[in-house]
Amino acid sequence: MTAPPPEDERFEPYEPRRRIPLPVYWIAIALVLWGAMTLLQDSAAHRRSDTARIAQARQTLAQQDAPGALLFAERCSTCHQGDGGGIAGAVPPLSGSPVVAADPHAIVQILLHGITGPIAIEGKTYDGHMPAFASVLDDAQLARLASYVRRTWGSRGPTLDAAFVARERAATANRAGPWQGGADVAQMVPAMGAQPSNPIAPPAPDQALAMRIAFNGVRGGWSCASCHGMAGEGRDGVPRLAGLPADYIAAQLTNFASGARANDSMYTVSRQLAPAERAALAHYYAGLATPSNARPSLGGDIGRGATLALLGDDRAQIPSCFSCHGSSGFGVAPSFPAIAAQHPGYAAGRVAAIAALGKNANLMTPIAKRLNDADRRAVADYLATLPPTPAGVATARKER
Amino acid sequence: MDESRDPASSEPPRDHDRARTTRRGLYALGGGVTLFVFAVLIRDEFHHAPTPDAAVSAPGTPVSFTPPPMSKIPGGPEGDAIRHGLAIFENTGTQASQFVGNGLACRNCHLDGGRKANSAPMWAAWVSYPQYRSKNGKINTMEDRLKGCFSYSMNAQDSPSGGPPKPGDPVYADLQTYFHWLAKGAPTDTKLKGAGFVKLKLTALGYDRSRGQAVYAQHCAACHGADGQGRTDLNGRVVFPALWGPKSYNWGAGMAVVNNAAGFIKANMPLGAGNSLSDQQSWDAAAWIDSQERPKDPRQKGTVEENAKAFHAKEKTFYGKMVDGHLLGTGTAPPTRIASR
Repeated sequence: MTAPPPEDERFEPYEPRRRIPLPVYWIAIALVLWGAMTLLQDSAAHRRSDTARIAQARQTLAQQDAPGALLFAERCSTCHQGDGGGIAGAVPPLSGSPVVAADPHAIVQILLHGITGPIAIEGKTYDGHMPAFASVLDDAQLARLASYVRRTWGSRGPTLDAAFVARERAATANRAGPWQGGADVAQMVPAMGAQPSNPIAPPAPDQALAMRIAFNGVRGGWSCASCHGMAGEGRDGVPRLAGLPADYIAAQLTNFASGARANDSMYTVSRQLAPAERAALAHYYAGLATPSNARPSLGGDIGRGATLALLGDDRAQIPSCFSCHGSSGFGVAPSFPAIAAQHPGYAAGRVAAIAALGKNANLMTPIAKRLNDADRRAVADYLATLPPTPAGVATARKER
Repeated sequence: MDESRDPASSEPPRDHDRARTTRRGLYALGGGVTLFVFAVLIRDEFHHAPTPDAAVSAPGTPVSFTPPPMSKIPGGPEGDAIRHGLAIFENTGTQASQFVGNGLACRNCHLDGGRKANSAPMWAAWVSYPQYRSKNGKINTMEDRLKGCFSYSMNAQDSPSGGPPKPGDPVYADLQTYFHWLAKGAPTDTKLKGAGFVKLKLTALGYDRSRGQAVYAQHCAACHGADGQGRTDLNGRVVFPALWGPKSYNWGAGMAVVNNAAGFIKANMPLGAGNSLSDQQSWDAAAWIDSQERPKDPRQKGTVEENAKAFHAKEKTFYGKMVDGHLLGTGTAPPTRIASR
């Protein structure tokens, strides 16, 4: 340090009066405004979601207490149509049906267990497959539904009460599987007249093989039942297999084995299966009529889910689920799985996985990407309220 | 702002100082707000799809229109007619079973119950009739147009009654009541956005059925089947309509003309992934679909060649052409009617 200039001896440190540059002000003000906006939006969203939750709770209450008309609109009209006219060649009409006009015990039994097989209504034959509602509607709901159908298209008989349905439920509690076509129904409703015979299909030759793998596993691997349940009913997060199209199940097993569909557990299991074993399992599970044990569990907005499933959301370019998965979510062989009565955890998770990992050639990928988290939960929860696919018929149908 | 940098050597008057502070405050505020607005705009650009402009558009440019939601269908006799019209639209083979000779329904081509733009929505059709159509060389009322739909797209020649509904049939009245309701509030003196099908310019490569076969196999067959016969659900109800063969539209239908089918495919197919196919793919897929045999043209009096000259001369069509040694237009045998129909 050399000698400093003398002036600096008396140096008083001072801060030159420099203003804060304008851009700093700009950024500060913009940030404050941004913060205010975010705060405002968040609180608005909170208020909205509160309102939505309250509205949903009210709606759920109203649904449990819904008059039969609403139950009919939500559960029956996709097939039987709002006016009860049915679908030519596919779904029998309710208006003019002797079953609706008959003793109420028949309609309640059909609602409880469903029907599978040929049935003649008013001289026209249908190869009918109606799901069983026993596992998804309670006695009071079934009573209201049956009363509505009878009041609208049948006699003006007495309104049914829950106790009547409870007695009917108890009377056939041991029944596994649906009523077998018009032949079974005619025993309850003599006015049905002659009914086509319903040949009971002999068990498939590979059924024994399939059951061995399903319950015991093969080559030391896990059994299917250890995760998917004794009757393919699944549990939360593990898909229901009962009633899925056989071709679909077989294709998934192939995809798991090749890694095209990523899943560590199923990769291990499916690689142990020979092609014939996969086909046998696919047929076996496709033919199971298992009651639904799925229940809404994700807190989704069920009303929104119903809208998405039945009508879609044209503004968000989301087609209705049922436009591809069949009019009641029962699947369309060979490629479109049944989605009715699927477990919500699995269903929502699967949509999320397709959105994240799906290939663009997959039809579901763009749709899955457009479903946001709330919509995925909503639609998954709604699907869990539906009756399961009428089983045994979801394989490729013969051409008419 | 540079001026703020130079230190004030001389003490400025108080007033001047205050004025400068105010000015700077204004600059700061103005700049801050501008920055904020700019940031919001940028964010919206990336996060939100552009919303349709609500501003009044210049005359002559198409106007967007949204039909009322289904929940707004009124009560009373008019509401009943609207609902029945909708039921016919969605479930034509049952609700108008006497006049349907294939497995189709109105909604197969007019998506979302006739609401979806660019799939010939009914709200746009309603406000554009009566109109002159070169197809039959006269002014067509909506009823005339519907008669055409039944004759060609619904293949009424193979239906139980053997033809479209007679003039004045309630089927027409209820369908029109539904359309009228869908068009509630639509202007009648201007073009509507999304009316009809998209008009695709023919590509340099033109359209080709063998390229189309590959596009079809990759993008269409999963739903409509490799054989084009569509798919039914487990009750036998049509989920995916047949695109050719006896259960599909006949040779007189608009969809049998390649450019119409290409426009429909481009904007709407695969379902839920509209506009994902290129123009070329749309043209080619349309060419593959519309170069397959289907029910004959009901207008045919003489031979296919004569009919091709009379009705198909100005169309982009495969009607009357030889494909794989087969003369297209010969027609298909009527589908074996299901016992229950």
